[in-house]
Amino acid sequence: MNLRATPCAIGIATLALLSLLCACGHSPREQTATRAMSALPSAAVGAAVPLGQLAGAPYSVAALSTPNPDHANPQAIEQGKQLYIQMNCAGCHAYNGKGNMGPDLTDSEWRYGGLPVQIYQSIFAGRPQGMPSWGAALPPAEIWKLVAYIQSFGGSVAVSDYEHARQGDQPGEQVAPEVQAEAQLGSPPVPLARPSPQTTMPPKSGKPLP
Amino acid sequence: MDVHLKQGSKPVCRLYEFHRRAAFAWFALLMGTSSSCDQPQKPPPNRPSVTVGSGSLTGATLNFAPNDPPGEWHSQARDYANTRYSPLGQINTDNVGKLRIAWTFSDATLGGHEAAPLVVNNTMYLVTPFPDVLYALDVSKAGEPVKWTFKPNPSPIAKGKACCDTVNRGVAYVDGKLIYNLLDDHTVAVDAKTGKQVWRTKMGNVETGETMTMAPFVVGKKVLVGDSGGELGVWGWVAALDVDSGKELWRAYSTGSDKQVLIGNDFKPFYDRMKRKDLGVSTWPAGMWKHGAGSVWAWISYDPQLNLIYYGTSNPSPRVPDQRPGDNLWTSTIFARDADTGMARWAYQTTPHDRWDYDAVNENILMDLPIDGKIRKTLVHFDRNAYAYTIDRVSGEVLRASPFAYQNWSSGFDMKTALPIVNPNKEPHPNVKLMNVCPPDIGGKDWQPAAASPRTGLVYAAIFNICMDVTDHPASYIPSTPYDGMDMHRYPAPGGNLGEFMAWNPATGKKVWSVKETYMTMSGVLATAGDVVFYGTADGWFRAVDARSGKVLWSQRLGSGIIGQPTTYQGPDNRQYIAIYAGVGGAATVRADVTALKPINFPPGGNTLYVFSIDGDSMSSGPGQLTESDGVSATPPEAGNSTEH
Repeated sequence: MNLRATPCAIGIATLALLSLLCACGHSPREQTATRAMSALPSAAVGAAVPLGQLAGAPYSVAALSTPNPDHANPQAIEQGKQLYIQMNCAGCHAYNGKGNMGPDLTDSEWRYGGLPVQIYQSIFAGRPQGMPSWGAALPPAEIWKLVAYIQSFGGSVAVSDYEHARQGDQPGEQVAPEVQAEAQLGSPPVPLARPSPQTTMPPKSGKPLP
Repeated sequence: MDVHLKQGSKPVCRLYEFHRRAAFAWFALLMGTSSSCDQPQKPPPNRPSVTVGSGSLTGATLNFAPNDPPGEWHSQARDYANTRYSPLGQINTDNVGKLRIAWTFSDATLGGHEAAPLVVNNTMYLVTPFPDVLYALDVSKAGEPVKWTFKPNPSPIAKGKACCDTVNRGVAYVDGKLIYNLLDDHTVAVDAKTGKQVWRTKMGNVETGETMTMAPFVVGKKVLVGDSGGELGVWGWVAALDVDSGKELWRAYSTGSDKQVLIGNDFKPFYDRMKRKDLGVSTWPAGMWKHGAGSVWAWISYDPQLNLIYYGTSNPSPRVPDQRPGDNLWTSTIFARDADTGMARWAYQTTPHDRWDYDAVNENILMDLPIDGKIRKTLVHFDRNAYAYTIDRVSGEVLRASPFAYQNWSSGFDMKTALPIVNPNKEPHPNVKLMNVCPPDIGGKDWQPAAASPRTGLVYAAIFNICMDVTDHPASYIPSTPYDGMDMHRYPAPGGNLGEFMAWNPATGKKVWSVKETYMTMSGVLATAGDVVFYGTADGWFRAVDARSGKVLWSQRLGSGIIGQPTTYQGPDNRQYIAIYAGVGGAATVRADVTALKPINFPPGGNTLYVFSIDGDSMSSGPGQLTESDGVSATPPEAGNSTEH
């Protein structure tokens, strides 16, 4: 197993196909990564992304609202596409992103969340049903490029829709008046020291992200 | 021809059936056995080895060893020769049109359902796709209650490593144990009575991308298993385990040195190109054999006289041929090996330097056939490369090779070298989109096993009619990820149909008849003494066909697409039942474009076992409140009503 190997070591097994990506030394990729690094979110951002909803605490939107620094950047998308092929992502998720061994990345169904930072976290940390963790093999800048390429498929969730996605809301739907009223109350959620079956959970803010 | 249910005798039979059902234990004895229904109720005679007479079109002889009880089904292929032929003949060409659902069972698991149901001692054994749950159903009681459930809890990582859905191709029964493979590379033996695990052997590491999907094959006290992962750069192998302990006895790799491949002095391939030393290393660029695949993920057959097993190996990895110049032995190869030692006796590579993912894993049906005036011990093999081979199973000599499905990758077959003549226009090269290659990666026929009948001497197979556009992307070996590189778009070959069911004459190498199907036909086949053959379609039609004429005699649409293997058994009520899983998946759906061709009317996934009988009669249907307590009706209906349901 060399899951923890650098991308350079990983690529050596076959021909020179990674030469573009992996000239081992001062590769174009590393230079790009260095340039982009200043704009990158903190490396710890993934750890702050909750996989489920938060129990007994206010919804933390800070980490979830982390935008992809490379969002809609054509150059990053193209580099992400090359990575997608070279890291064998296409072998599971298909060259068109529509999935076969792994899930479809072009639709609106996201097991572990479709926000940019959630996709980042799926790539960084891996997922239990066979998705490997790339955090040791790829630097954050590369992972964000992969996220940019996946976002370009159009199926991911916009940062501003984080709550709608979690609650299963779809564009064009109606909202019952009671639900709307509750959302408009906007009362700050109360942290619960000891949740009990009688306790009502904190209301959701319903407001778009800052 | 076996017994017929005469139209006039039926009500009497049903009346008898009601009484027998209502008072199973003693009334049946009082009534004696002189009923007019005795004929249809009796199990058909066991015919362990049949030489067909005038009814056969080929003069084929089949050996049905190990001669399991005629009303039962103990292994996926039913016998060593892989005939999938049942001597039961109650259901025949005259009455099969009255086949109706007798009972069903749902297992709550999504994913392709590819396994054949087994029946041993009035118990049906079913295995699901991942998480590979094993069920035992009591078919002697109304409602077929679950006797026990075995949950092996395989690693969820396996779900993301299986190339072609999380399938399981079935269980083998031997000596009171059920043996099967888990997707996460463990082989388990389970006590057939209690459902408790007897042993569990770790055969590989799922984190490398290796999985196991094939059904174990039992020869005496050995159980043979192999791995999957031709798209993940595994090192393919087949291994023998001791039935009692699970201890590994030998393992033969598909690539590497002769020592690793278990090639020794007894290895006598028929063709010169396979006669040099360490070809499993020298036919590869340096070191690439280590991740060259040749996985063993489908069927094994066995000749008890020769004591040889026969099986095929998968495609080479990566699937981009220009990365691995050479023949890439021993991938896409049929092996004959000594069952005791595993040592290779002969090998024949069907597709050298496999550029299209054609494999050679499909079943090898053992038949003795008159060919050019001589009886030859042969194996019949429908390769993914669209050629049907009839091969001398003693020597490995190819006796017949002709296309059974539409193909354009070769312009002919050179019988002298036993090699298809490759059409250079259909060789893919990196980063170039190559149009219209036929068949595609899944072949002219995939793993779905054919069946043979000694009564007709023919072989029956569900085949494909598909082409692809393909672009190869060079792939790097990264453990735990696909080592693949094939980007495909599939579509129907000329004719527009994706599927076809055919009868094949293996003595002449010619198609006898066929039924065209709109969607893929990726189900196993069941042949029976009633001269009826059964198969299913990916869009959910289950059909019975006249084994001689190819006329479709009966069809029913089931709750999902069919990629399972039909089997048949005789219940404790002496009725013949036909069983099939409906639950589409596997290669029939794994790449969306195949189903997207004609998405309308294509069924979603499912997980239901369907069991059929004539008129749907069974202990599990009828008026009144049937219970499972003792297999009899708790509130017996009036005699005259027993047929009204």
